[in-house]
Amino acid sequence: MSRFSKNKRLGIAESKGRYDLPLNKGSASNFMIVLVALMTFLAMMALSATFLLNSVTHHWSSGLENSLTIEIPAVDTDENIRSQEDIQALSQRVQDTLQPFAEINAATALTQEEIQELVSPWLGEDLAVGEMPLPGLISVELSSRNPENIQSITEAVKAIASDIKIDTHETWLNDILRLAGTLKISASFVTLIIGLTTITAIAGAIRSRMAEHRDDIELLHLMGASDMYITKQLQRHALILTIKGSLLGLGAGLVIIAAMSLLSSSDNPVMPGLSLDIVNISGLFLLPVAISFIAWITARFTVLRVLGQMP
Amino acid sequence: MIKFEHVGLRYGIGPEVLSDVNFTLEPGSFHFLTGPSGAGKTSLMSLMFLGRKPTRGLVTMFDQNVNDMDRAKLSKLRQKIGVVFQEFRLLPHLSAFDNVALPLRITGHRESEIKSNVDELLEWVGLGDYKNVLPLTLSGGQQQRVAIARAVIARPKLLLADEPTGNLDDNIGFRLMHLFEQLNRMGTTIVIATHSQSIMEKFGHPRLVLDSGTLHVHEQSNWVQKNIEGVY
Repeated sequence: MSRFSKNKRLGIAESKGRYDLPLNKGSASNFMIVLVALMTFLAMMALSATFLLNSVTHHWSSGLENSLTIEIPAVDTDENIRSQEDIQALSQRVQDTLQPFAEINAATALTQEEIQELVSPWLGEDLAVGEMPLPGLISVELSSRNPENIQSITEAVKAIASDIKIDTHETWLNDILRLAGTLKISASFVTLIIGLTTITAIAGAIRSRMAEHRDDIELLHLMGASDMYITKQLQRHALILTIKGSLLGLGAGLVIIAAMSLLSSSDNPVMPGLSLDIVNISGLFLLPVAISFIAWITARFTVLRVLGQMP
Repeated sequence: MIKFEHVGLRYGIGPEVLSDVNFTLEPGSFHFLTGPSGAGKTSLMSLMFLGRKPTRGLVTMFDQNVNDMDRAKLSKLRQKIGVVFQEFRLLPHLSAFDNVALPLRITGHRESEIKSNVDELLEWVGLGDYKNVLPLTLSGGQQQRVAIARAVIARPKLLLADEPTGNLDDNIGFRLMHLFEQLNRMGTTIVIATHSQSIMEKFGHPRLVLDSGTLHVHEQSNWVQKNIEGVY
């Protein structure tokens, strides 16, 4: 271990932590720190996107998966507009019919104001009740989603009026989950690409350092230094740089995520803001550990491989 | 201890720089390796310090065949060999102390032991006041002494030196030769590559003479006698 570093003015070595190889000098170290910081940052963004997608799909699916909506059309099968009184009467009959079903927790008819609120994004806020025929909607909460139960509910409701529609949200839910699944796979693929790029970049940086100090490494080799003796020095060097870089990347990533979290926080019921729970945050903090481990292993195999080419 | 049998060496597809080299060095022997420039001295030395493998023939070091030896065993074997390179090959970013300490650190000695041994040896070679100095600020002679100290610090079983006294004045050169002889008396086998007739004649050890890639072994008395006869 070199306890000394160079005092350039006097050519005198000064006490410091040691390497047999001059690994802690040169701009290549800074390049590797910046590279690892960028990789960590990108990995954090990809991981955060995955967390956000998980949160969104959970939010959407938990609201829809144990529910169905019964719609009493505003126009009957003979193209006659149903009056509000007819709709309310049908609505009441449907609720009465559903009463005996044990798997139904609640069946609530939406008021005209609530229905108007639902259609207002498309038809405008100024629509007056009564100006336009609106359907009757009954929101049904189920204790469990069982196809057989849904079938028997459908039959019971259709017996009241054949044009009553039952929306199980299945198509919508499946589309959303498929989209979210595709996005999650894409985010995982991006994370994998980042990991592979990190491995390639670290291996390249290590090879470059070894080429730069080839004479010194060869000298240690000829003096009887084992492959592990040389490997440990380069491995330690790579690990220290990676820890520095990944912590920098983590810091930058946390700042961006915090900013995104603040900017995206809203009461929008469809799109929840980016909020991370303790498990997500732990996952982000584990990134520098994972990247440092990747660097450690990569450095080890790269150095041993290059040393293996020496006699 | 060291046995070369029909050893040949070529670089790539070039001609053989060493051809059919045969010799045996007994433990505790002292030899000079000499010959004209380009005769293959450095190549032969590189085979002896296990920096290369021969392209043909059998090399036995410390009674072990090194041709097919695995890397871990080769490293252990190299730790028994001290080398003084012609161009010194000091690590420029390390102090004189750390350069000399390298072989001990490689073999895992304790720092307290390293400090006392290195300090003592640096004093002995006259560099006690330069131990924290970087090699580039030392003169050629001082760098050579650091290189020699590094080669002998771990008390190797075999010491190989390529022109070790080339940059030194006669006084220091003879002093270092006495150090080599002292090591030799303690059991170290020594091979010194040199052109210096004065050193070879003064110390009178047997010579390995390389000429155009082939080796001849001469006992000193015969060598002197033959050359005297040749002159007169």
